[in-house]
Amino acid sequence: MDDYTIGVLTNIGLISFIALSAYLLIIAGEMSFGQQGFFGVGAYVAGVATAMYGFPLPVAAAMAMGAGAAAAFLVGLPTLRLRGLYFAMATLAAAEMFRIVFELIHFQREIDGEPVGPDGTQGFRGIRWVFENGVEPAGYLAMVWGLLFVVMILFLLVERSKLGATLRMLGEDPELARMLGVHVERFKLGVVAAAGALAALGGALYAHHNTYIEPRNFDIMLGVHALAYALIGGLGTAFGPLLGVLVDIGVLEGSRFFQGYRMIVFGGLVAVLLVFRPRGLLDEKVVHWLRARFISA
Amino acid sequence: MVKSAIYLCLIFSALPAFAQRVQAELACKPAKTDFIYDCTIKLARNGQPLAGAAITVGADMPSMPMAHNVKPAKAKPGKVPGDYEAQLDLEMLGEWAVKLRLSGPVKDQLILHYNFDEKGAKPVIRSGRPLRK
Amino acid sequence: MIFDLIQNTFDGLAMGASYALLAVGFTLIFGVLRRVNLSYGPSIMFGAYCATWVHLNFQAGLLALALVTIAGAALAGAYVERLCFAPHTQGSAIAAMVASFALWMQFEEVVTLVMPKHLYDFPPMFEGEPLAFGPLGMRVEALVMLACALAICFALHRLLYRSRFGLAVRAVIDAPVAAQLAGINVPRILGLVFLLASSIGGLAGWLIVSTHTQITPMLGMWSTLKGLLAMMIGGLGSLPGAVIGGLALGILEAHGQWFLGPQARDLIVYLLLFVLLAWRPRWMTTQSAS
Repeated sequence: MDDYTIGVLTNIGLISFIALSAYLLIIAGEMSFGQQGFFGVGAYVAGVATAMYGFPLPVAAAMAMGAGAAAAFLVGLPTLRLRGLYFAMATLAAAEMFRIVFELIHFQREIDGEPVGPDGTQGFRGIRWVFENGVEPAGYLAMVWGLLFVVMILFLLVERSKLGATLRMLGEDPELARMLGVHVERFKLGVVAAAGALAALGGALYAHHNTYIEPRNFDIMLGVHALAYALIGGLGTAFGPLLGVLVDIGVLEGSRFFQGYRMIVFGGLVAVLLVFRPRGLLDEKVVHWLRARFISA
Repeated sequence: MVKSAIYLCLIFSALPAFAQRVQAELACKPAKTDFIYDCTIKLARNGQPLAGAAITVGADMPSMPMAHNVKPAKAKPGKVPGDYEAQLDLEMLGEWAVKLRLSGPVKDQLILHYNFDEKGAKPVIRSGRPLRK
Repeated sequence: MIFDLIQNTFDGLAMGASYALLAVGFTLIFGVLRRVNLSYGPSIMFGAYCATWVHLNFQAGLLALALVTIAGAALAGAYVERLCFAPHTQGSAIAAMVASFALWMQFEEVVTLVMPKHLYDFPPMFEGEPLAFGPLGMRVEALVMLACALAICFALHRLLYRSRFGLAVRAVIDAPVAAQLAGINVPRILGLVFLLASSIGGLAGWLIVSTHTQITPMLGMWSTLKGLLAMMIGGLGSLPGAVIGGLALGILEAHGQWFLGPQARDLIVYLLLFVLLAWRPRWMTTQSAS
């Protein structure tokens, strides 16, 4: 594989984490404009852990997930009762607060004679774990997709279980779920925290792929893209968000034919697609049909 | 056993593993086609030009990370040692984070922020300081 | 000190007037359709870029530029309505919203393809010194903007409560099915409201760019965000609320900027929004557009 293919595939893998995180909330009935905030928390926490304190990346990624889950829990707690636009705006406000806090943090240490660490709007340079440990681009690609594979297996297991059924019931009708004995608030908090951890894992991997992060990376554009990918790909299965990312970045980016007009083509395509398939390409019906046809038969 | 491992780590981390980071500078002028730039990269370490590095040049938009995959170009050695030349094919004008991936004598990745316009590229100034290394 | 406070409040009112206008258009759409139009700001940006293009290529007066901005924004709004909202009136709100986001990307790319520079100059609305009241100053543009915001709010109120069209709109809001049965052409009403809201957005856009005398593609995201913020602070769905929310946002920002700097200013605004949403005082739960 050449550098370009490796680069594109790595980006597809990285952005899939935040798309999956948005997807998890959508099927639980909530739309978040703020997953980029947890992605950013993960990027900063993992970057600080490896570049400033010499932790290995796996440990740093675990710390990032913990931080992402904790941040999401704290945001989720006061916003549990909110639904629809109110929840979306509350998560947006939270993510923007995270971004501004990243802009205000100046926290550096001298490493090998140069200051390393978050430096406000100047960003955070020198997250070099990948280079210092001789990980080649192809190796990093394998790491990203390996983790994504694990996440996908988890998603598929959950969706086939009783837990998955509860999740979708919560999304469709929280009152029904409550009557059937689900602790709606507790369950929702768990989902919010899991989605936060997932986004943070993506952020940790992104920071180490790029070696440099800055607050502007984590503005609303990233979050809305994640939401759009989840919806375009389809809400019927966890493969949906992956398909959404693949359609945008893979197909259109890969074909140089659309260069300069990519957003015009893609934007129009998405709007028209949603007219005919308002729950995405792989929606519940398609997934059900596929399953009946190829798995249960 | 654990203790000696910790000591070992401490010793290694105290060593100046990378004497000095590589510094890079970029000068670009637009080629005839829109959004294509001919760029010269100057690499230096300890104030000395750094020749013999293999550089792959890519770019990313800071406001929408991961979505713009500019086709990375391999830089060719330029006229002077420490100079390298590459052509960048960007999708639009504006601020780009140019990614230099170094292999050969040094393995590293440098990110340079430049504003690309009709005339060429200027380093991005943020909070009063130029944003580059 | 006291002069600073008063001056900040003046500046805040000036900025707030533009937020109020943006929020009024947003509220109109949300009130009637129960949908968020993320392409609201980008449509305004599209209109303003049309005017910039006209300004660069022809000799056009202020009024002509204002009309071009409004027409451009209305045209873009109609396109958004046809493609993103008309097909989703019954279906999911999230599909409509994501579709409107997709068109946002289109507007940005069209604008940067035709006019690739990052920043363009826009002719000022008024050339001259700000009005001085003793040690205090007020820009004329700010007064014009405030007057426009109040006039539009008043005119909209008249339109909604004193005309057959307004009656139809209120009927559609309260009971869409009954309105349909009573012979009201609901899709047409929705389309007209959308057009009206986009035109108000266009007017706001012209006032904003001719006050700042420059335009960048960021105007799209800026308008959507500020309009949404002002609408949420104002209680989501009432026109006077939108105006009050816009002015409150402007004043809060002006004081925040003065005392704490630009980053802390934004932090305060988002913190306030978050707290308001979590706490949800009674005036934030009014759901009616009228």
